Amino acid sequence: MLVGIPLEQSNSVVKPKDCAGEMSGYIVSIAENRCKRSFARIFSYFAPRLRSYALKQMGNEALAMELVQDTMSNVWQKAHLFNAEKGSPSTWIFTIARNIRFDMLRKLQNRKEDVCSDDLWPVLCEQTADANEASLDEQITLEQIGFMFESLPVKQKAVIEAIYIDGKSQQEVADELSIPLGTVKSRTRLALQRLKVMLNDHD
Amino acid sequence: MIKFHPDPEQLSLYVQGGLTPVESLMVRAHCDYCDRCSKVVHEKTVLLGEKFASENVLAAETRAVHTSTNLSAIFDEIVKSPASNAVPPPKKMPTTVELDGRRFVLPRTLRKFISSVGNWSSLVGKVWQAPVKLGGAQIANLVYIGQHGEIPEHTHKGVETTLVLKGEFKDGINAYQPGDYIRMSGTDTHTPYTDSPQGCLIFSVLDQPLQFTCGIAKFINPFSAVYFR
Repeated sequence: MLVGIPLEQSNSVVKPKDCAGEMSGYIVSIAENRCKRSFARIFSYFAPRLRSYALKQMGNEALAMELVQDTMSNVWQKAHLFNAEKGSPSTWIFTIARNIRFDMLRKLQNRKEDVCSDDLWPVLCEQTADANEASLDEQITLEQIGFMFESLPVKQKAVIEAIYIDGKSQQEVADELSIPLGTVKSRTRLALQRLKVMLNDHD
Repeated sequence: MIKFHPDPEQLSLYVQGGLTPVESLMVRAHCDYCDRCSKVVHEKTVLLGEKFASENVLAAETRAVHTSTNLSAIFDEIVKSPASNAVPPPKKMPTTVELDGRRFVLPRTLRKFISSVGNWSSLVGKVWQAPVKLGGAQIANLVYIGQHGEIPEHTHKGVETTLVLKGEFKDGINAYQPGDYIRMSGTDTHTPYTDSPQGCLIFSVLDQPLQFTCGIAKFINPFSAVYFR
């Protein structure tokens, strides 16, 4: 019996759309605090559904469990790459599972192609998150957005300042402020998103 | 204006992960050019994600999952693992291929394979090709057709998927532009040529060698594998 995993009351009635906000919150909390309780909520909702999906796709209990494990490991370890603006937790977790299944089948079929799921659906690449940031960098200078920058929440401002003005790496910032790297990343992302919104409004 | 797209069935299979790696690569490279198909792919992904997450897992089954040693062992093992903090440095990837002093920017999806592009060789007349090693059984080539160049009429033993990367070519039936995705098989016969001054660069994937159907090219047909590999 799992300790600390609350059983859902009426599991079958909860529609993913209705709880997308709640689930997003859990993923953010995993990213920022390595929160096991939050992970337990995600796990108890998605693991049975992943198992059901995996059984249909792989037709074999052992492979299905491997798919469940790999998918949920990615959710736990790479929660900081989740971006609620790009899609719901359901979509994110589905795409992770779909990619893992794709690579598992490639291996099973002994396919020689040098094309893996990351090339096709870069769900878990840092680059996808950076793409927006880079294009934002190219279009404006920090001076131009100085007044917008001032309106950022203090914590986000500190992180942006350290990275974009002092040129520190995210890891250095995390060490300096004694916060997890995931927090630095999510603060950076949130700040950049906020700036982007302000810029759009500005135009 | 892109006129030729993968059909909806192919897009669905792509989203499910049901196409072969190379077929998937072609669809994705098309999406680099095509906002319409990117949008369809996104919508289909969201739908599948919702379907997956609304799966009616019976309460009994859920309880079984909670008590199942397997899943609880998985949970315990996962939470012991640290966050993946390894941030790989952004890779500087080449973005262009070169032929005769001309540079061609490839779509994002194909850039990873620029280092796998072999030497250019003359195919016929003004047609040049360079093999792209994708590692599988399929034969992939970058093909450049210079102005007034023409690929001899041919049919396809298997399936030929073509993506136009730069310039425009015609085949007597249609005109194709960057982003156009063309899938030909079996009985389809065509003679691609271009009259645009910049020529035309295409990416082509074959699962079988071409069959030339006329002229001198027919004569070399038994060796077409030599030319197209």
